Amino acid sequence: MEGDVMLSSTILAWGGVLLLLAGEVAALASMRNVLRALVISSLAEMGYVLFGFGLGSVAADTGAVMHIAYQVVMRGLLFLALVPLVRAAGGSRLDQMAGIGQTNRAASLMFGFAMFSVMGLSPFKGSFSKFLVLYGAIEQGQWGLAVFGTLASIVSLFVYVTIIQRICFERRPEDEPAGQSSPIGMLWLPLAILTAATIGMSLDPQPLEAWAQRMVGAVGGAGLPDYESPWSMLVLVPYLGGFALYGIGLVSGRLRDLAAIALAAATLVLAWQNGNSDAASWLFAVIFAAVALVVVLYSFAYIRAHENANRYYFFLFLAIGSLLGLATEQQFGNFYVFWELMTWTTYFLVIHEQSEKALKAGRKYFLMCATGAYVMHFGILLLHAQIGSFDMVTIAANVDHLPPGVTTAIVFLFMAGFAVKAGLFPVHGWLPDAHPVAPSSISAPMSGIVTKAGVFGLIKVLFVLFGAGLLSKASPAGSFSSFGLTLSGLGAVTVVYAEIKALRERELKRMLAYSTLAQVGEIIAVLGLGSYLALAGATFHVMNHAAMKSLLFLAAGSFIFRLGRKSIDDFKGVGRAMPLTGLFFAIGALGVMGLPPFSGFFSKFLMIYACVEAGQWPLAAIILTGSVIGAVYYARVLRILFFERYEGAPVAEAPFSMLLATGLLAVVVVLGGLLPGYGVDLVRPVADLAASRGGMLVVDIPNLQMLWPTSAIVAALGAGLAFFVGRYHPVPAGLLSVLAMLGSVAAILAEGAYGETLSFWFALLIAGVGAVNLLHSIGYMRHGHAHGRYYFLFLAMIAGLLGMAASPDLFNFFAFWEIMSSWTLFFLIIHEETPEALREGFKYFLFNFIGASIMFLGIAMLGARSGGFGFDQIRAAAPGMELPWLAGSLVLILLGLAMKAAMLPIRIDYQMHPATAPTPVSGYISSVLLKSGPYGVLKLFAVLGGTVLFSRLGMVMDVSLPFYVLSVVAAITVLYAGAQAMIQTGVKRVLIYATVCQLGYILLGLSLGSAIGVAGGLMHLVNHMLLKDTLFLAAGCILAQAHVVDLDDLGGLGRKMPWTMGMFLFAGLSIAGVPPLNGFTSKWMIFQACLQSGHYLLGLAALMGSLFTLAAILKFAHAAFMGETTRASETMTEAPACMLVAMGVLVASSVAIGFFPGLLLVPIAGIQQSLGLDAVVATWSGPLPGLGGWSNGPLALLLIAPGMVAWLYTRCGGSKVRVGNVHLCGNAFDLKESKMNVNSLYESPDGLIRTVLAAPADKGSARHV
Amino acid sequence: MSDSLSLLFAVLVFPGGLFALVLGLAIKGVDRRVAARLQRRVGPPLLQPFFDLIKLSRKETMVPAQASAFIFRWVPLVGLSAMALAAAMIPINGVYQPSTELGDLLALFYLLAVPAVVLMLAGSASGSPFGAIGFSREMAIMLAYEGPVLLALLSVAIRVGVGEGHLISLSLSDIVAYQIAHGPFLLDPWMWPALLTFLCFFPANLGVLPFDIPEAETEVLEGPLLEYSGPSLGLFKMMSAVKCVVVLGLGITLFLPGGPDGIAGLLVFAVKCTVLAVLGVTVVRTAMGRMRIDQAFYFFLKWPAALGIASLVIVLARS
Repeated sequence: MEGDVMLSSTILAWGGVLLLLAGEVAALASMRNVLRALVISSLAEMGYVLFGFGLGSVAADTGAVMHIAYQVVMRGLLFLALVPLVRAAGGSRLDQMAGIGQTNRAASLMFGFAMFSVMGLSPFKGSFSKFLVLYGAIEQGQWGLAVFGTLASIVSLFVYVTIIQRICFERRPEDEPAGQSSPIGMLWLPLAILTAATIGMSLDPQPLEAWAQRMVGAVGGAGLPDYESPWSMLVLVPYLGGFALYGIGLVSGRLRDLAAIALAAATLVLAWQNGNSDAASWLFAVIFAAVALVVVLYSFAYIRAHENANRYYFFLFLAIGSLLGLATEQQFGNFYVFWELMTWTTYFLVIHEQSEKALKAGRKYFLMCATGAYVMHFGILLLHAQIGSFDMVTIAANVDHLPPGVTTAIVFLFMAGFAVKAGLFPVHGWLPDAHPVAPSSISAPMSGIVTKAGVFGLIKVLFVLFGAGLLSKASPAGSFSSFGLTLSGLGAVTVVYAEIKALRERELKRMLAYSTLAQVGEIIAVLGLGSYLALAGATFHVMNHAAMKSLLFLAAGSFIFRLGRKSIDDFKGVGRAMPLTGLFFAIGALGVMGLPPFSGFFSKFLMIYACVEAGQWPLAAIILTGSVIGAVYYARVLRILFFERYEGAPVAEAPFSMLLATGLLAVVVVLGGLLPGYGVDLVRPVADLAASRGGMLVVDIPNLQMLWPTSAIVAALGAGLAFFVGRYHPVPAGLLSVLAMLGSVAAILAEGAYGETLSFWFALLIAGVGAVNLLHSIGYMRHGHAHGRYYFLFLAMIAGLLGMAASPDLFNFFAFWEIMSSWTLFFLIIHEETPEALREGFKYFLFNFIGASIMFLGIAMLGARSGGFGFDQIRAAAPGMELPWLAGSLVLILLGLAMKAAMLPIRIDYQMHPATAPTPVSGYISSVLLKSGPYGVLKLFAVLGGTVLFSRLGMVMDVSLPFYVLSVVAAITVLYAGAQAMIQTGVKRVLIYATVCQLGYILLGLSLGSAIGVAGGLMHLVNHMLLKDTLFLAAGCILAQAHVVDLDDLGGLGRKMPWTMGMFLFAGLSIAGVPPLNGFTSKWMIFQACLQSGHYLLGLAALMGSLFTLAAILKFAHAAFMGETTRASETMTEAPACMLVAMGVLVASSVAIGFFPGLLLVPIAGIQQSLGLDAVVATWSGPLPGLGGWSNGPLALLLIAPGMVAWLYTRCGGSKVRVGNVHLCGNAFDLKESKMNVNSLYESPDGLIRTVLAAPADKGSARHV
Repeated sequence: MSDSLSLLFAVLVFPGGLFALVLGLAIKGVDRRVAARLQRRVGPPLLQPFFDLIKLSRKETMVPAQASAFIFRWVPLVGLSAMALAAAMIPINGVYQPSTELGDLLALFYLLAVPAVVLMLAGSASGSPFGAIGFSREMAIMLAYEGPVLLALLSVAIRVGVGEGHLISLSLSDIVAYQIAHGPFLLDPWMWPALLTFLCFFPANLGVLPFDIPEAETEVLEGPLLEYSGPSLGLFKMMSAVKCVVVLGLGITLFLPGGPDGIAGLLVFAVKCTVLAVLGVTVVRTAMGRMRIDQAFYFFLKWPAALGIASLVIVLARS
């Protein structure tokens, strides 16, 4: 008997569900006629009722009864409101009715309201009868029924949303006549009654529920999930405020806008003071409320230009309320309601502009997220069926009693819902469509916080409710849980997919949307690791990304607001036309690129660190690869914004409220970078909370505070000052910069040694040569432009270098490394803004970025296994590290350092700074900045305890394997780059290749690791610094007067610029190794180091390299200074004093070192001692160390003696001098014409080298930009 | 103090400076005389190079308007000084032992490049197209011969170093001492590849046929020297003479350093230099025609380079 009842009721339930599904599908099929579709769908709803009764439980029966009541009232309203619309359209075909709502506002409003209410969504909370029925099914384990019921709901969503959009929101095409308007007439009374009833039932379903319970004979709500619970103040204030604003807006728009700001501010205060919720809820609520406030501020000016501002504010505040609600709610019933409300309200914001694109994207958004929510809802109901409560605290206390299979099912259901919202691949489809079509003020919170709701859900459910320990117990998968593996896997795919899509995107906001996708992918991928650091890192990035991406969208919105265009290419030079907005955008972009000193860097660092700490370095590598791609397109945008010429009509800066909003966010991004500790303090409780659930080891979050030495602060302050002064007063700005550098020198001297003397001396050179090059810049920039920017970037770059030299740990080393080798460098070398400069500069930027990323991974690996980044920590931990890990991290770091030093320059256009950079900058990069590579190598070597540690990796001829490889690479580089330098014909190309060649020498010496090798390398480092800088500055004296690319365009300058030529020749011959000049001394030591240790071939390569250098220098000298003048050089004159003085300082230093190599060797011996390496024996005035050490001072003097005697010989004939013409043997050819082309100067060797290196012959200037 | 003075003496008077100049000029005289005899000419007096110098010192100096005057006028001084110093670095067995302060084989090798650099600068700075061609050719041939000769030098240095129990010995005194103890390398067939390489380097470095391509009188009218006259040209002549002694002395040091003490040793040294000059320079230059620059360039990259590599391989294999 009982079985029969069971059977018949099951049949009833299945019949109902199938009716439901079939009906909704039929409605879908007949959608061309609105009336028919709605009638069919209404009939289908009866299926739900049957479904409910068929299940026969209290919940299902109650749900069924409630459903009848809901449907009667709401559908009554729906059909009633449809009457005037159909009348106006003259028929009920969907095509006819499209856009009819525009002319029948009241009816359309009620129709839309009714339609959404039927779906269970309204501003008044909505109905939940369906879910009671579904709960009944799940409670009984009737999964099939529940799934089919949900499927039907999803189909109906599609039908309804399509109909609503077409009728209420679609705009009629311009060329068609406007739709008819039909008065409501006598219908108003029933409409009003039904509307009131709908609102009443939605707001307070309690009486209805009680009535329904009585109807089905249940008592006291037993067996019913308790869906309802009161809303908190934090939600009610913005939510009800939205209604109030709507009311105010009907009276005065201005008043409404002001009230909105006040309301948003109050909401933020409430969120901050909210003490009722756990750490995760609190943090996310504050983030949501803070971004909301900024958005409202922005909207003040932005949305005034839009129609429907009232609707905008209404839904905006409803959305804010829902977001805060879901962040802070402790009951899953309300949580779900808020979740749905968030989707629904933001849907209206997305389609705010009601364009065809917006509607399409909005529908996609709504359908996908609502579907996801349905899936998640399954999880909620299942949880309740198992535990009997919606209360999160109760659930958390009882989850460990769940069977593993159920846990797995529940978590995956939740994950599905959250993943859609967060935009995880493959359910991301809505995101890149929806974000860009919304008003910019909405794109910002959509990207900044709405996606984060998904992340929040994951954190809350996975790590707060269930806890990492339980997850990995329920479904282990290696070091992950299967959930974590899924998240990390999908997150990684999202990163790569989204970055590539963003790269190919030409529309600014779409690009930003894809970037959001990628960033969220990173966050979720890291979250999947489920470790303490992963939670901290991911949450930290949530916070930072919320600010950065909101900033970007808002700033982009300001551009679009003023220009009315959206494609990236339309924004040429806009960053300069709207300087403040541009600046803010740049800050946001640099932050998202993960570059210090902006906040994004620190959270990215923490995330990478978390990956590596969990042993998942491949994940870190994927994320880093993603950010390389990200760097490409962000750099492209910045380049277009700032380094292209603006050609449109004059454009005003954004209105104040928009500036204020973006400015606030920019300040947050900057402060978040300068003081990341506060951010970490905010996210730490979240990680602690997750850790308190067990299964998670609490680890120290590394200290992310960048330590700025005084010298760097002085430089940075100087940079800021020079930026403002330089706008109008170029020369004072230059002098100011020089002063700042001198200040830095003083600060370094005052601060004393930095732990080891290597860094101290390096810092002194950084600042000292900086002063020289800035002095030279005053002359160089005489005819330049954008002086403020130039000096700012130059000093900022130097500040980065100074910080790097002073770094007390590996983290600081890397952070400052990024400052000096990423954005400052990039913007500085594209200063000239020519197309070639932009293109070539970008290549170098990319190469640097990749190099830094490689090093990043290595440093993170080293730090993770040492438990921190302190040099002592690493030194202590390294000997015990497992070999593959140690070797891997060291190789990565060394690779990064070698890339900086441009080893193996097969693609010089990527590996070295481009010739198009301003010449003093080129000089500085070549002479100082690139030395950070060798400097880093030596420091790493010393920090890790030198050969003792590295010998673990294997030894070759008394040199550890990685350093042996490095030395071979360096030797090959010496030959390769030297040969290339010899065959170049570009003015700066020659010097650039020559630099690489010399860097090879330095690294060769250092990598040998012997006392004399390290000393020689260091000495050459300084010598090359002085000499190559002199060469570049001399070239700068020429290039400042005319833009010349090719050496052939020069000639005869020796007679016009004798000082420049003299200093050039001195430096050139010295660097080529002509004794007894200083360049020879350091090279001699490197040769000794090679030969004495038996590295004959390395020594041979080094010896041959200097010959190439000689050829290159003489070629340059011949082409530029000798012979007849050319058109370009005819008008040139000697450089101004400031440039000559700058070079003179360098040359004087070189001469001094030439006479007294002890000037370098004594400090170098000190450096070697302080690094714990073998030291050379050196005295201030003594000879070079080593066997048969060359004695510079005495020998230089000895060279003068025969010279003087010989000079006497020239005097004995009376020394009459006569000036005549060159002897042409009677030929009358033109000297200008007969000038030897540089390309054919060294015909045979040139040709041979070109053949061997497969280097094509230079053809004109186009080739060597 | 006395140490500094003795160094100064070594550079200015003996064996650098005056001594090397006189010896060099004398060898030049012999060279010209012998060459003339070989060509069935009478030839100039043996002292002709000395007369030339005196004559040039009385002349006025011509500077082309197109020249970079400063470089043009003063660069020869640099070359001469460097050679005077280099000459002081050559040991003369039994007579002169260079102070260790004067540097080693590597320093000498670099100093030996200075005259070439000077010549190139001079040609380049003169403003004459012929000078530029000379400069270009000088660089090309230098690029070709430096590698092979370096291999030869290293072979000797490694051989000596290994013999003394370490990896390499770059000290010229050690090289001499080793050969005094173990016999000259001239008599060791294993060292002949190095010797041959050195002999190829010889005429190229001294700028004589078949490798006098940079100065080729019949083509580029002495190239870099075309615009020089008077005392400036005299400086070049002196540089060339001293350099001749340095290079010859280096060859003797590397391959046949022995000799008696005292004045006899000096004579032996002078004789060895002269013989080497006659055999290695005079005979060669009268017997051969001038190569083209590309021929010379590839010649060095083939034969001397191969010999040099062979020499290094042999030395390393036998050590």
